[in-house]
Amino acid sequence: MGLKHQAALGLAGIVAALYSAAAAAEASTALWPALQETFFAGKTIEKADFIKLEGPARAESGAQVPITLTVDKPLDAADAIRKVYIIVDANPIPLAATYQFTPLNGKAQISTRVRMETDSFIHAVGETADGKFYMTALPIRAAGGCGGPVDGDEKAIRAASGKIKVNVDKPVKFGEANPATLMIKHPMFTGLQRDLVSGGYRPAFYMQKLDLSYNGKPVMHIDFGVGTSEDPYVRFFYQPEGPGTLDVKAIDNEGKEFEQHTEVAG
Amino acid sequence: MQKYPKLATCCLGLICLIAFASARAEALAMEKVADGVYVHHGVHEELDEGYHGDICNIGFIVGKKGVAVVDSGGSYRVGMQLREAIRKVTDLPILYVINTHVHPDHIFGNAAFKADQPIFVGHAKLADAMELRKETYLRNNQAWLGEAFAGSEMIKPALAVASKQELDLGERTLSLQAWPPAHTSADLTVLDQKTGTLWTGDLLFVERTPSMDGDTLSWLKIIPDLEKLPAQLAIPGHGAVTKEWQAAMEKEKHYFEILLADIRSNIKQGISMEKTMETAAAGERTQWVLFDSVNRRNVNILYPKLEWE
Repeated sequence: MGLKHQAALGLAGIVAALYSAAAAAEASTALWPALQETFFAGKTIEKADFIKLEGPARAESGAQVPITLTVDKPLDAADAIRKVYIIVDANPIPLAATYQFTPLNGKAQISTRVRMETDSFIHAVGETADGKFYMTALPIRAAGGCGGPVDGDEKAIRAASGKIKVNVDKPVKFGEANPATLMIKHPMFTGLQRDLVSGGYRPAFYMQKLDLSYNGKPVMHIDFGVGTSEDPYVRFFYQPEGPGTLDVKAIDNEGKEFEQHTEVAG
Repeated sequence: MQKYPKLATCCLGLICLIAFASARAEALAMEKVADGVYVHHGVHEELDEGYHGDICNIGFIVGKKGVAVVDSGGSYRVGMQLREAIRKVTDLPILYVINTHVHPDHIFGNAAFKADQPIFVGHAKLADAMELRKETYLRNNQAWLGEAFAGSEMIKPALAVASKQELDLGERTLSLQAWPPAHTSADLTVLDQKTGTLWTGDLLFVERTPSMDGDTLSWLKIIPDLEKLPAQLAIPGHGAVTKEWQAAMEKEKHYFEILLADIRSNIKQGISMEKTMETAAAGERTQWVLFDSVNRRNVNILYPKLEWE
């Protein structure tokens, strides 16, 4: 091997090393200041240990990244967290969902699945009834969850959308926080997925708002964004005082309404 | 003391880069598995961690008239190295470049063969699958491979196989078959009639944990049909070439069945996806390479679908 060739390999090695360092880039802290300014203009947000986020260090699938949010503070406290924003910093549409809790949740904890387009921090920002803000952040490595391919026939997907399933864990303990699982059949089109028929992008089509109530009393309100994964999944808590009905009312971004009712016995 | 050290360094760098770019690609190591059938074995690496663009089985088949490439590797660079390996064996023209499916480790070497003007061949649904994934694949592979991805392109098939297709390489016929959704939405197998060698693409994994992207339930349904193909030898998408290929198919099927049963059972019992990722098909762990990451991903993909059964 000639000297020039060796030098070339050496240089190529350096170039390769530089690029591999770039390839190993992880969640960036640089995105948050602008996001905070967008979503919480003029507000002070304090870092708080009582808001916790759990998730994988490295997501297996960017399309369905499981996370759990816990607010370690009583929901009937004067300074209770009423609303939590879930923001995936590096997603093209960062706000994945907001959750509004009430004392009838019994416990402010939800598990859900979000889309992640690339390595990112997820921020959970909690707002109190009197307008104070607290937050926590979790870095997750992930790829390709927002613009990924949509397989299957659009008509069939639309026809199946809106079906709601609620599974309440049994036995139900009255007067305590009980877990339940909410699942909604919905493609949650992001607006960033290619449409080969039109040659452009498939318009966003997603479940937008959801209200949970127990015997007519509001338990939780959710605003979904397209950062919430296809077929939205939410594991949550509710606190029933006695037997009754857990009602779900939901509406998608095209104005279509869906309902589901679950009898809760002891 | 040099007067213009920076400029000199720049020039030297430029000369070196030119010298490097014009140097011929180093030929890939090939295994001759049957008369006129050559395979290069990639290494079992993850895509998003330490990936070098060379993780699957790629290769070529030589007839009297010319050559067919079966999968081209994960980058232009790997494709060029495969081309160099072909040129060490034969000077016959490269007539076809066949892609067994859409995954980036199998297709991004296509551009290395552009100058040969071959007919690019794939499943009838491959072009759509490529188009849908184009942006994400280009972005991710650029990030994973950096400079090693230079020159790579997504080249769609000119010859689309809807069910079956024969290709004549000169005293050698290849039987191509398109399959319903399985490993991906567009899987194609290649059978060399002369030697009974079957290129399965990723419909068969040997050693490496089978990964899922298309429709696993449908994949299970076609395994009996795959096993009926008249092949003496199979070249899997990943792992060793084997004569005991039906047994390897059964081993893959066994993994799917255990994984599906465990996930369904956990859904029924209300055990979360996160917990299921840790425990499903745990008994299969010692049977496969990269099991922890691939098996977890398989659960991550299957669980949300099976919740709606």
